[in-house]
Amino acid sequence: MTDQYDIVIIGCGVIGSSIAYHLSEYKQKRILVIDKGFPLSGTSGSTQAWVWVHNKVPSWYGELSMYSAELYPFLERKIGDVEYKRTGGIAPFFAQTDWDKALRLAEEQAEVGIKVEVLTRDQVLEKEPALSPKIAGATYSDMDGNVNPFRLVELYIKAAKRNEVEFSFYNPVTEMVMEKDHYKIYTKNKKDAITTERVILAGGPWSKEIGELLGLDIPVKQVRGQVIITEPLAPFLKHTIGGMRQAENGEVLIGFSKEEVGYDRRTTMDVIQETAQMAINYIPSLAKANIVRSFSGVRVIPEDGFPILGKIPDKKNAYIAAMHSGVTLSPLVGTLMAELVMVGETSICLKRYSLKRFMNYA
Amino acid sequence: MDKSTIVCRCEEINVDEIEGAIRLGASTFDDIKRLTRCGMGPCQSKICMNLVRELIATNLGVSISEIPPPRMRMPLKITRLGILAGKTSSSNVVSVFDEASLEAGERQND
Ligand SMILES: Cc1cc2nc3c(=O)[nH]c(=O)nc-3n(C[C@H](O)[C@H](O)[C@H](O)COP(=O)(O)OP(=O)(O)OC[C@H]3O[C@@H](n4cnc5c(N)ncnc54)[C@H](O)[C@@H]3O)c2cc1C
Repeated sequence: MTDQYDIVIIGCGVIGSSIAYHLSEYKQKRILVIDKGFPLSGTSGSTQAWVWVHNKVPSWYGELSMYSAELYPFLERKIGDVEYKRTGGIAPFFAQTDWDKALRLAEEQAEVGIKVEVLTRDQVLEKEPALSPKIAGATYSDMDGNVNPFRLVELYIKAAKRNEVEFSFYNPVTEMVMEKDHYKIYTKNKKDAITTERVILAGGPWSKEIGELLGLDIPVKQVRGQVIITEPLAPFLKHTIGGMRQAENGEVLIGFSKEEVGYDRRTTMDVIQETAQMAINYIPSLAKANIVRSFSGVRVIPEDGFPILGKIPDKKNAYIAAMHSGVTLSPLVGTLMAELVMVGETSICLKRYSLKRFMNYA
Repeated sequence: MDKSTIVCRCEEINVDEIEGAIRLGASTFDDIKRLTRCGMGPCQSKICMNLVRELIATNLGVSISEIPPPRMRMPLKITRLGILAGKTSSSNVVSVFDEASLEAGERQND
């Protein structure tokens, strides 16, 4: 590790490692990625990892997710097998009154070219016979799928390393100083500052703390999610269901909880019981399945729910990428952030995602 | 132990795979678990826990007492899902479908 770089990325989750890899494809800059822990110790190591498009609303946000999902097959050709599977996604609903909502969703998404079908009970059961006959219907899209987040982050890092990106793990960033045309970054393991022309904040649920090092107020919430996991079962779920998925090894990952309890990664009995109940409501036969373990992760959710992406207003050569659904969005976010840094403009306009939108209210 | 000795029986992970993760910079059980799936199977690391801690200690030249055990999670013993299920309707466990149909302004996306 020298101490001079063109670009330093703080955070090596699915977002930081994707940005590092995509930047490294240009083979022009000296890049360092710093993480306070080890890759996957943050949210990217405790996620359902659906690549989920169809009910991301409003449609402009769905569109962003769609473009990212479309990049996955290309990404795999470049970095290797990340076990991306476009399974199609089913979001069941139970009330007849939800039909209207489902039709409106389909209409809204059609405007941007996301094909959402509204399926009757019989049509859903034909696609996915294990689902409960009590459901009223479902929305369906063949854009949705899932990926192995562990493989994804590992392969981003390996591909970036081949392109000479450097990594520093177990090394928290503790201080940042903006000088005239560069940043000085202080970390726990290094006495002297690392200097860099540009800095990219990809700290996930720690974005607020990292922002404060630059005197920024980054409005994100920490939202815990708990997931339970069955023993490997014979393949019986073909689709990614809004609520659960069956992984390649047969395990079913179940859960979709949201609690604002700060950075607390415990699993709790009440939510696990509710999650188990939800599983049976969706798929009655799961009652007989064995649960092997649970996990919990902390989402980073910007105050208005949408990604914060792009240049940081009023700070020269500083950038941020903080969002929920980072697994879905990672190939696109990596591509766009690399364009922004290397070329100065992006193939999809990022104005709407600027941190600036929060600053206007202040 | 040679390179092909199985350390994690549930997931069939051998010494070589564990050492590969250590070479990437992994230094705790959980680091290795996320890279290799070692410890994620039905026994929940009861068999591999200390073998892996030993491998980390040897490879990094530190004492095994400095290597923390993996994070333990519920349920500690394999349990039928039907037995876990609570009776209460959920407040934190939200449906994807409901999320998409929240009114503008309070929309959240997963
Ligand atoms: C239960 C659950 C289910 C989810 N399901 C999905 C899903 O199905 N699909 C989907 O797309 N998304 C899903 N998400 C969200 C998704 O996992 C996240 O959006 C994504 O992982 C965020 O990645 P990240 O790189 O921004 O953050 P992280 O993976 O948390 O990475 C941030 C990194 O920054 C490092 N860091 C923090 N502070 C410092 C510092 N001071 N110095 C150095 N390094 C630092 C951390 O160590 C960490 O490694 C889910 C999340 C949860 C919790």
